[in-house]
Amino acid sequence: MTAYNGFYLVGNYPDFELFTEALREGLRYFDFAEIGIPFSDPVADGPVIATAADAVLKAGFKWEKLLESVQKVRQSADSHKKLYWMSYANILYHHGLQNFIERSKEVGIDGIIVPDIPFVESEELKKLCHQHRMDYIHFATPENTDEQIKRIASAAQGFLYFVSIRGVTGSRLLVDDETARKIQLAKEYSPVPVILGFGIRDKKTVERALQLADGFIAGTALVKALGTGEMDNFTSLCKQLTGN
Amino acid sequence: MRRPSRKGYFGNYGGRFVAETLINALDELNQAYESFRENQDYQQKLKTLLSHYAGRPTPIYFARRLSKKISVNLYLKREDLLHTGAHKLNNTLGQILLTQYMGKKRVIAETGAGQHGVATATVAALLGLECDIYMGEVDIERQAPNVKRMELLGARVIPVKTGSRTLKDAVNEALKDWVRNVQSTHYLIGSVVGPHPFPWMVRDFQSVIGKESRRQFRKMTGALPDYAVACVGGGSNALGLFSGFMNDPSVKCIGVEAGGRALTPGDHAATVTLGKKGVLHGSLSLLLQDEEGQVSPVHSVSAGLDYPGVGPEHSHLHETKKAEYYHCSDESALQACQTLARWEGIIPALESSHALGYILDHQSRYKDKDVLINLSGRGDKDLAIIIREVL
Repeated sequence: MTAYNGFYLVGNYPDFELFTEALREGLRYFDFAEIGIPFSDPVADGPVIATAADAVLKAGFKWEKLLESVQKVRQSADSHKKLYWMSYANILYHHGLQNFIERSKEVGIDGIIVPDIPFVESEELKKLCHQHRMDYIHFATPENTDEQIKRIASAAQGFLYFVSIRGVTGSRLLVDDETARKIQLAKEYSPVPVILGFGIRDKKTVERALQLADGFIAGTALVKALGTGEMDNFTSLCKQLTGN
Repeated sequence: MRRPSRKGYFGNYGGRFVAETLINALDELNQAYESFRENQDYQQKLKTLLSHYAGRPTPIYFARRLSKKISVNLYLKREDLLHTGAHKLNNTLGQILLTQYMGKKRVIAETGAGQHGVATATVAALLGLECDIYMGEVDIERQAPNVKRMELLGARVIPVKTGSRTLKDAVNEALKDWVRNVQSTHYLIGSVVGPHPFPWMVRDFQSVIGKESRRQFRKMTGALPDYAVACVGGGSNALGLFSGFMNDPSVKCIGVEAGGRALTPGDHAATVTLGKKGVLHGSLSLLLQDEEGQVSPVHSVSAGLDYPGVGPEHSHLHETKKAEYYHCSDESALQACQTLARWEGIIPALESSHALGYILDHQSRYKDKDVLINLSGRGDKDLAIIIREVL
């Protein structure tokens, strides 16, 4: 089975043009993109992504503007490539869950990832996603019991996001035997690819991730590369991570 | 007062909006707390500590001179007399025993003004547990004496350099620490905020204020007060007081928020009054936010009220009209602090001064009424600010 890999970008970072270009470029190498809608209190993010989000907010971020750039990229990108939102619960509640989902669908978003909405709080949003034929991405973690992993994995759509470490984005990838076993269990029960996130930064961590799971998501390292303002840095890291 | 639903909701507010990683820890905490409540040994331990260590019951004092001056019968529940100088200790004593009951060896906490940090460092020293306190850099600067107190008590104070570098960011960093160390560590939240079961549990631990108040007030006056008034930041001292009177329809509960410099965005912290439904720090509640859903900057002269969120149960009490919420400006709070000092010889915390300040601003509305105010803390910690602002 070929790997199913994604990349993460902070919406409109470092600016509108570079973001749009990077989103296009990244989709040439990866199967899906995870687009962060910046939030003032990003509790799942480490310093690199939090600082990038903060810079976008300080520059006067507007969600409407981000919808525009996403729509543009969607129209020109390969239709098999998927676009996901990654944001926090307050952003969704603020815009109204239904309105948020409808607007996102209109511009061609395929699904949503919300790290502070756990499985137990996801019912309403899952229903809305289902009605609009969008994927609601579930998280599994090493803290989950086997029973929970079976339940979450069986319900997975799009892909299952396995948070392989205890920590925030940009932390080191360390997977113990027990976690490796749980990833395996998730793969058995999930109808869609099981993807490792958090801690993927270079060839070595990519190899490790692909030994364990069906694919990976790279974020912090790419955001850092794009933060230099040089597309070349971003592109060469995309190539290195995907082996193209 | 009612328990929240099984999923941790008070009406439309509450829940558990946290990373999947924390869900089992919250379940475990919930189960441990259910059994802790029924454990006679531990309940006796808590009772003993509350009386012999903390100094409960705290008295109700009738403020005779000031009452006469303003024609309102003012009664003060003296939480300022509790060990460490504020109501915070009721909660930290309860949670530290729960930590021990769960067999965890380390506690972390967030602090704004430093009161909850000091109360946590105190109980960690009492039981010999490791203690790390997250505190925003801005707060470390403006509450320097409390930083030294925490260090003297053996805690480590970790400066928070992200975001606005105040209380809200300290909570963010404490949550991140908890995600990393969830197996060894209990997060000792200081108010009725955060994911379920915290809002319920912290209210329970603070409900001793309301229980005592009701009994004491009846003994003193033969009746119940007309109003029970408390300041609201996250809202723990207010829920502690209100919980004693929720079944008494004749007693009106009033929460007073920080009106700050003005009611324009960024200049106040009047969340219930001006907030919109939103999610911050693990629960769905009212929240001060801008038109993009970003959490608004807030301001209050009192660091303990300088918070853009509020406990979910307050949002519920507001929506169902079981309690009323108003606000008091920085200026009125500072004025109230001086008035109580001069007329009664009591220097209240600037947080508690908001509750008094609201009554002083509207004294004609409360003429000849019996008003019970929760004097949640003492003002020594605020001396530098009081000197800068008024003396």
